[in-house]
Amino acid sequence: MKKLLVMLLCLTMALSLVACGDNGDGKESNPPAGSDGTNPPETQGAQNPPASGDTISLTMWGAEEDQTLLTELIADFKAAYPDQKFDIQLGVESEATAKDTILTDPQAAADVYAFASDQLPALADAGAILDLSTVEPALQSLAGKTIADIQAANTQAYNDLATYNGKYYAFPSVADGWFMFYDGNVLSEDDVKDWDTMVKACEAAGKKVGFTFCSGWYNACLFYGAGFNTTLNADGTTSCDFNGTSSKGVKGVDVVKYMQNLASSSAMMALPEGGTSAAFTGGECAVIFSGCWDSNAAQEAWGDNYAAAPLPSFTINGTSYAAAPVKSCKMVGVNPFSKQTGWATLLAEFITNQQSQVKRFEQRAAAPTNIEAAKDPAVAVNKGVAALNAQASTAIIQSVGGNYWSPTASFGEQIAQGTIGSDDAAIQTALDDMVTGVTAPVA
Amino acid sequence: MSNENSVMTKEAVKAPETKAPKAPRKGHRLGGSRVGHNILIAILCVIWLIPIVWLVCMSFSAGDGMYVASFFPKQWSVSHYVKLFQPDTVNQFPRWFLNTFKIAVFNCIIQTCFVLMVAYATSFGKFKARKPLMNVAVMLNLFPGVLTMIAVYFLLREFGLTNSHFGLLLVYSASSGLGYLICKGFFDTVPRALCEAARIDGCNEAKIFTRIVIPTSRPIIVYTIINAFLAPWMDFVFAKMILNAGISSQYTVAVGLYAMLEKSLINSYFTIFCCGGILVSIPIAILFFIMQKFYVEGVTAGSVKG
Amino acid sequence: MSKITSAIGGFFGAIGRYFADFGKAMAKGDIFVKLSLIWWGAGYIARKQYVKGIIMTLLEAGIILFSIFFAPQYVSKFGTLGTVQFEQVFDVNTMQMVPNDYDHSFLILLFSLFCFVVWTVTFFICISVVKNAYRLQLRAQSGGRINNFREDIADYFDKKFHVTLLSLPVLGIVIFTVIPILLLVFVAFTNYDQYHMPPAALFTWVGFDNFKSLFTSGGLTVSFSYAFGRILGWTLVWAFFATFTTYFGGILMSLLLNSKKTVVPKLWRLLLVITIAVPQFVSLLLVRYFFANNGIVNTICQNIGLTGLLRNWGLINTTYIPFLTAPIWAHVTIIIINIWIGVPYQMLVATGILMNLPSDQLESARIDGANKFQVFRYITMPYMFQVTAPTLVTDFVKNINNFNVIFLLTDGVYTTTNQMMANSQAKETDLLITWLFNLTQNYYNYKMAAVIGIVVFLICAVFTLIAFNFLISGDKEGVYN
Repeated sequence: MKKLLVMLLCLTMALSLVACGDNGDGKESNPPAGSDGTNPPETQGAQNPPASGDTISLTMWGAEEDQTLLTELIADFKAAYPDQKFDIQLGVESEATAKDTILTDPQAAADVYAFASDQLPALADAGAILDLSTVEPALQSLAGKTIADIQAANTQAYNDLATYNGKYYAFPSVADGWFMFYDGNVLSEDDVKDWDTMVKACEAAGKKVGFTFCSGWYNACLFYGAGFNTTLNADGTTSCDFNGTSSKGVKGVDVVKYMQNLASSSAMMALPEGGTSAAFTGGECAVIFSGCWDSNAAQEAWGDNYAAAPLPSFTINGTSYAAAPVKSCKMVGVNPFSKQTGWATLLAEFITNQQSQVKRFEQRAAAPTNIEAAKDPAVAVNKGVAALNAQASTAIIQSVGGNYWSPTASFGEQIAQGTIGSDDAAIQTALDDMVTGVTAPVA
Repeated sequence: MSNENSVMTKEAVKAPETKAPKAPRKGHRLGGSRVGHNILIAILCVIWLIPIVWLVCMSFSAGDGMYVASFFPKQWSVSHYVKLFQPDTVNQFPRWFLNTFKIAVFNCIIQTCFVLMVAYATSFGKFKARKPLMNVAVMLNLFPGVLTMIAVYFLLREFGLTNSHFGLLLVYSASSGLGYLICKGFFDTVPRALCEAARIDGCNEAKIFTRIVIPTSRPIIVYTIINAFLAPWMDFVFAKMILNAGISSQYTVAVGLYAMLEKSLINSYFTIFCCGGILVSIPIAILFFIMQKFYVEGVTAGSVKG
Repeated sequence: MSKITSAIGGFFGAIGRYFADFGKAMAKGDIFVKLSLIWWGAGYIARKQYVKGIIMTLLEAGIILFSIFFAPQYVSKFGTLGTVQFEQVFDVNTMQMVPNDYDHSFLILLFSLFCFVVWTVTFFICISVVKNAYRLQLRAQSGGRINNFREDIADYFDKKFHVTLLSLPVLGIVIFTVIPILLLVFVAFTNYDQYHMPPAALFTWVGFDNFKSLFTSGGLTVSFSYAFGRILGWTLVWAFFATFTTYFGGILMSLLLNSKKTVVPKLWRLLLVITIAVPQFVSLLLVRYFFANNGIVNTICQNIGLTGLLRNWGLINTTYIPFLTAPIWAHVTIIIINIWIGVPYQMLVATGILMNLPSDQLESARIDGANKFQVFRYITMPYMFQVTAPTLVTDFVKNINNFNVIFLLTDGVYTTTNQMMANSQAKETDLLITWLFNLTQNYYNYKMAAVIGIVVFLICAVFTLIAFNFLISGDKEGVYN
């Protein structure tokens, strides 16, 4: 008898399975125009253009660690438009991986999402991010801002990051470059002016310097500082001159030699990609190259004596160059497949405006991109923000395509592990190989 | 051609029970070698358990982070377990556990039914398409599942089933019929004489299936149930793909715990991850302990025929 | 070889007979049989099987409606995979975007395939309907009894029970496995990648271009064929070691545990089974931090001086042991970790099988004075091997596609120092399947992923075919039935 019951249950399940398939078929036979741009189920209620009294359903993605903040900002947003009813759903998607999830299926992605600036070219190429000029009328009528106003409110560097092929795509929200954290108990301000003295001081103190060799985001700083350049071409390929001679007359081989020299020091510690936070808790390091997101970790590890400084300078053939870190930021983009593009844009604008950026700094120690927000007294005294500002003139905007990352990561790892060899010919070959990979055509 | 060998098949089925290792343990003369033998086993077991012990240690350590200086924590604490049950924006373990449990139970039912149905049809059925169908199944099994993920995803999306547990359940169970081989191997050893006798008594095939074959197949059913139950706890690739709206409360245990290891979170959540890992393992371990005997019999009898 | 030819011959013979029957039915059948070709219900209704006739008519009507109202919008664009580019304009009044009636290449492909599958099934249904009608006609002519509807239903629980059993599982397999696999095969012949990603852009057919670029150097990436060769090599090495280490490990472990000398064997077995109970993603991720460059194992090795020793011997030139971060080291570590994961499971299997080991053989061997090793070598192993050969083959295929172990252990941990590999977004520890996953997940190179997928399938298929032909002599099924 029991067996029969089980069979019955199984049959019911099977039937419901079939029934569901039928439903699906029924839906499919509708003309495709409406159903093609289907959003996640939550927003399906908003198929018809809403009258102003209708509830506007929006979805938003933000980083795991920003959820509390974003919940508050959403509440503020609702309060700012009291006449409109909203149903805003907040989801988790890290800025670092936003592109991966969005590009898998842009139509299922959130209406408003945060992402890291290096992902903009890929998102724009795939048509997964809205050119903000298309919705400018909405911004103008409801938020009273034009694109030009928004650009004027942000530091120019971040506007540049939000611009691709001449179009303005996203609202900058967090200045996200990296600089040098150091332990004020171990090193003095003078120690950290130059790579060599800094490394020597650490050697003497028996402490480590944590540097992420295996990432093209970090390890290119000496190349950029020495006048080398990368550019992203229209066909998605990257141009890279690291294997030649730079605009400042430095040979790529010499930069590599300098890096090899650094890496061979017993004080250098090659961090794994994304391993900076763990390095703070590890306790071995007195210097760690990281960004504002680690401010709290630095504070916990080194107490109030933690300090932040611009990248040290380095000397090649007697000439001193300032290392050039990559300027980047987090921004908020709007999904072009959103059902409520106008309101989505307003929400994106709202959570990145001056007040929101100040709030974000207070809660998350995130450096603002907004000029006025950066002038806020509380923000200005922050050590990380100060360091970012101090290196604003040397930092560069990294313009690279998708083929840049894997080869440069490998190259940095080779330097860290010392597998390249020290003679010029070997280094040149390694550089050439790396550049071949970076500049490879995109199939 | 179905019943002339029934005598030998009966033997094959009975074999596991009759020859179970209940052999009397005679005191061995070479005491030294016996001690050595057991020490060797003990050492192996210790080696096998080291990572698990570390998992337990980490979950009970007072500190955070995964890079610790000593194997055993300096301070013990249950604070991470407490945190695990206090949901925050990252951690919603109780919800995840329920979600996964729900999916696992339904997956169990559907998958077990499907596997048994296909196995019975291919083992007892006598229809022309049987061999070709089985060959097609072998072919299909050669395609790696990860590959077809994107296509499955779009299919589900068109039916509006992404971000739903039902969609995920379909992914796990809908094509589970393909995993019928071991079960078929078991059914092949079921004595055909039994069925023949039932047929003479007027049973139809459906009755033979439900009244005769299923009751004699407890080991393989247990084996199938365990495997079906475990799948949702183990998988994170499909789950992450299907549950892509970023709504943490929808996650399964695997997706949720995996998200804890994101670079920006791992420092504060690694130990909580360990707690989650242990809590997931406990019910599975219990299931295994209870069902171990059947599990072994099931997999054995099945793979004998493969 | 002759087996294969005869199998192929048999296959075509069967197909020939299938259609010959159909031809005969069409030629010799009466008007109703012929009419069934167009109206499926005709043959049934003529023989007074009204319910069946109505059901078949409804089914046919459904398929016709499907073919008229659903299929054309996709199938008509199958040749080009769409021509209308996605565009949309902003409507200030509604605050919404208004898209044009654009083509979605992927959906066109997907639903065209769906239609093809439906039509293929329709084709076979049609043939069997005609044959059935003819059979009914013959029976009616010879005065045989024709089933009423209730008897037909009863048949589905008796003679045709396999149809009842198989229909749902097969439906599931078709929708969730067959269609996706076919889709994958089709994608291999398109230019579906990051720059042709629906809905914003269209993709189209490119013939064999992707296959060419896989097998000629400098096609997809500068070092694609190099990376492919390396990864294929490691995939096979890995599959071999992963399969055989756990296999023999499991047997040895089970012999050890089931020996008469063992005290409390159940306890030991329980302890080992715990490692199965911890889900793989937990245990593997854990082990990955366990063996990290600054993880606990390295700390301990440093403290006991092992790291320094290896450094002195020149085996490493780092201040840590690169368990999971250098080639060879990582390969060995991964295989060892896989032994840790896999042996307890194989031990359970082996325990079960060894219980059935004919004890008379063991006895006679012992009387003949065979030592333990000889017993193992000449009695235990042949028996095990004979019993488990098919599972060994499937295990090997499973290991070729063992995504979990490699992905969880190396993703985000291992950075290659081989520039040629890095230039292809690959690393030494990648299996074809994880490389593929990377290509699709991080680089959206679906077309190449599909090509590699087909190659993986071919490798597995060839291997399985060879293995089954050599290892498994004869069809054992007959022995039991």
